[in-house]
Amino acid sequence: MPEIVNIQGLQKTFGKFQALRDVTFTVNAGEVVGFIGPNGAGKSTAIRILLGIIKRDAGMAEIFGKDVWKDSLEIHKRISYVPGDVTLWGNLSGGEIIDLFLKLHGRGDQQKRDYLIKRFELDPKKKAKGYSKGNRQKVGLIAALAADSDLYIFDEPTSGLDPLMEAIFQEEVEKIKEAGKSILLSSHILSEVERLADRVVIIRQGEIVETGSLDELRHLTRSTVTLATEGDVAEMAAVNGVFDFEQKDHQATFSADHKHLDDILREASKLGVKKFESVPPTLEDLFMRHYEG
Amino acid sequence: MKEKFAGWNILFLLYLKRDWKKMMIWIVGLGLFSAAYVPAFEEIAKGQGLSGMYETLQNPAMIAMVGPTPVETGAEYTLGAMYSHEMLLFCGLFAMVIAVLHVVSHTRKEENLGLTEIIRSFQIGRQANSLATMMEVVFINVLLALLISGVMISFGVDTISVEGAFLFGASIGMAGMLGAGIALVMAQIMPASSGATGSALGIIGLLYIIRAGTDISNVDLSMINPLRWTYLTYPFTENNWMPFIFALIFSLVMVVLAFALEGARDMGAGYLPEREGRERARKSLLSVRGLFIKINKGVMISWLVAFVMIGAAYGSIYGDMQTFLESNEIVQQMFANSEASIEESFTGTIMVVMIGLVSILPIVLVNKLFAEENRSHLSQLYATRVTRSQFYWTSIGLATFAGVTGILLAAGTLGGTAITAMGDQSAMGILDFLAAGFNFLPAVLFFTGLAALALGWAPKLSKAVYVYLAYSFLLNYFGGIADLPEWLLNTAIQSWIPRIPLEDFDLLIFVTITVISIAMIVIGHLGYNRRDLVEGA
Ligand SMILES: Nc1ncnc2c1ncn2[C@@H]1O[C@H](COP(=O)(O)OP(=O)(O)OP(=O)(O)O)[C@@H](O)[C@H]1O
Ligand SMILES: [Mg+2]
Repeated sequence: MPEIVNIQGLQKTFGKFQALRDVTFTVNAGEVVGFIGPNGAGKSTAIRILLGIIKRDAGMAEIFGKDVWKDSLEIHKRISYVPGDVTLWGNLSGGEIIDLFLKLHGRGDQQKRDYLIKRFELDPKKKAKGYSKGNRQKVGLIAALAADSDLYIFDEPTSGLDPLMEAIFQEEVEKIKEAGKSILLSSHILSEVERLADRVVIIRQGEIVETGSLDELRHLTRSTVTLATEGDVAEMAAVNGVFDFEQKDHQATFSADHKHLDDILREASKLGVKKFESVPPTLEDLFMRHYEG
Repeated sequence: MKEKFAGWNILFLLYLKRDWKKMMIWIVGLGLFSAAYVPAFEEIAKGQGLSGMYETLQNPAMIAMVGPTPVETGAEYTLGAMYSHEMLLFCGLFAMVIAVLHVVSHTRKEENLGLTEIIRSFQIGRQANSLATMMEVVFINVLLALLISGVMISFGVDTISVEGAFLFGASIGMAGMLGAGIALVMAQIMPASSGATGSALGIIGLLYIIRAGTDISNVDLSMINPLRWTYLTYPFTENNWMPFIFALIFSLVMVVLAFALEGARDMGAGYLPEREGRERARKSLLSVRGLFIKINKGVMISWLVAFVMIGAAYGSIYGDMQTFLESNEIVQQMFANSEASIEESFTGTIMVVMIGLVSILPIVLVNKLFAEENRSHLSQLYATRVTRSQFYWTSIGLATFAGVTGILLAAGTLGGTAITAMGDQSAMGILDFLAAGFNFLPAVLFFTGLAALALGWAPKLSKAVYVYLAYSFLLNYFGGIADLPEWLLNTAIQSWIPRIPLEDFDLLIFVTITVISIAMIVIGHLGYNRRDLVEGA
């Protein structure tokens, strides 16, 4: 599968502060990659390097096989970008700004523009200084979504959008995905990432700590198990791969490490299983583990 | 009633604490600017200076600029009369403008930024912020008035009486209050803070132009113009407190009106609806150049109009030049040159002043690119086909265009008005004026180049270019009167350029400075292309 985005060992330092220590990941053709991590982890910094807004100190960063700094012009013909905080010229209307962005992008689709304006319920005649945060964000989104690109880069694109608009955004992204485009999506809204992303890249303090499909990542973590047995359930606490053990009468709740699932089941059946429930980890759980860990 | 203003005193103290540096600069800066020129005026008044100046200021153009005097003959024109005649209107205007900026930034702007929302969630009344801001402005203007009066009295000049000094200071303080009142009303009416500032300053500008007309044609008509109440008090001559009372009443009415309007409106909203924009962009907007023209249009037009007005104002003096120069030793010293005519000498000097002003606009335009970068306005555009070079050269192009047009307008209107004012006696043609102006083109380019260099390599320093401009402007302005050493004068770029038509054109210098400027622009481009773009950092 050809790589659309290819980042290897990326580093960036601001003054004395090392914002990116070692960032390596790829976005393949037709893939949606969720880029997540706590505040200040370096997501926006990595994205700015990809866009040629800032220059990397070391490492490699390519889009479409071209260097993001040297060949930025070639790359920019085929990408769209929405920042997390869209700021606009107060005395231009939303419609004017969208037209300007599309024109400077070069591959804008007028029909899609009009369709998206309706879909997102934006008043294009209003001057930008009169827009709310969410409406400013819509201007940026419409301008990006109405342009025909091969790679879409979103940095917290839905910040400030209401849940209804968020859902519309997700539907539109799914359409783009179906059309075979690639998407790099940084977001704090995990349900959004869970719904859209094929693969997740987790960054912490300037380093990638995890990458893989959601299924793969789930295997790395633990499910929450509720177990009731005929024998003394307390014996389960000592079993390998059991964490956060809590007991209430004959019923226990604990986290089960997937690697030791076999041991756990074997021990449990020795005690006589009366009830067994396992809940797979959500992205949220995954997250908490990495964010805190 | 009380509830609405609950907690204003807390805010008031908070503002004093927060703003004390700004207040110091405001009070001391404007106070000294208004009061401390008494010794300089004493110099001017020596010999026949007073009556000569009196004659000069009878010129309609001068009345249009500084206003009339009640004195009827040159012999009765005292130092005090001249001081208030020349200074009061301008200082009052300054006080008004600063008050407008301050009031809007504390009321409407904070509301737009959402700060007011936070404050109101505490136990603070709905209108406490406005009251606290107005009390702060009162406090500042009272101090300002006292400082001005005190400084003037301290010079111990006969014709600057204690009563006159108090009236002079009070008039300037009251001008500040007028501005504050107008600003507070506009802050309620307009839909956003920029509109409030713009409309309040526009009203002041309009009142200024109207009073210029009525001052010449019919002084009594001027009496209904609020701006006039600030300087028709005629300190040191008639000491008329009536206009001051009018202004006081007018300010109170404005404040009461503003509070009533504010009480009846929603936070964040105004009375005038926001004008609708276009649904689709015009073709002319759809390029980097179109965008940059659009976002800079307001500032460009305002400055170009100002250049025309300044050129016309100076040009109209040419008619009375002879009387003016003969009467005044210090001015003679400034313009004396045995070989050239007085008009030519004046042109050479005044052109430096005008070029200093013209240079501001290109710096503004180059710095605008960094301002846009810093506000993250361009983030989404960086990811399009637009290159950094396009942003850079469009800004440089716009700045160069503004510099050339500025010189053309300033020198052209100066020449046009001067030739009209001199009539048949004119020894200079319009081309002489244009040559004198464009002779300084390298200086304008030099400032553009400095700003470009800062943009590319040290954008945080871009404001420092204004400081250098102000420094070189002052050196040139006072270089003629104070005997300054050559090397010091030469730290100002304009000093290197000969003053046409007084001196001969120097091609070598013209080309050298132009080449240096272009080099700075090119080096700036290298920096701009390789540095990290800043976004709101
Ligand atoms: N221009 C800059 N100068 C100095 N430090 C910077 C600059 N830009 C980013 N940083 C620092 O680099 C770190 C990473 O910032 P970045 O904006 O990439 O985080 P992020 O992952 O996008 O966070 P968030 O989720 O809050 O958007 C932060 O600590 C930030 O303060
Ligand atoms: Mg970020």
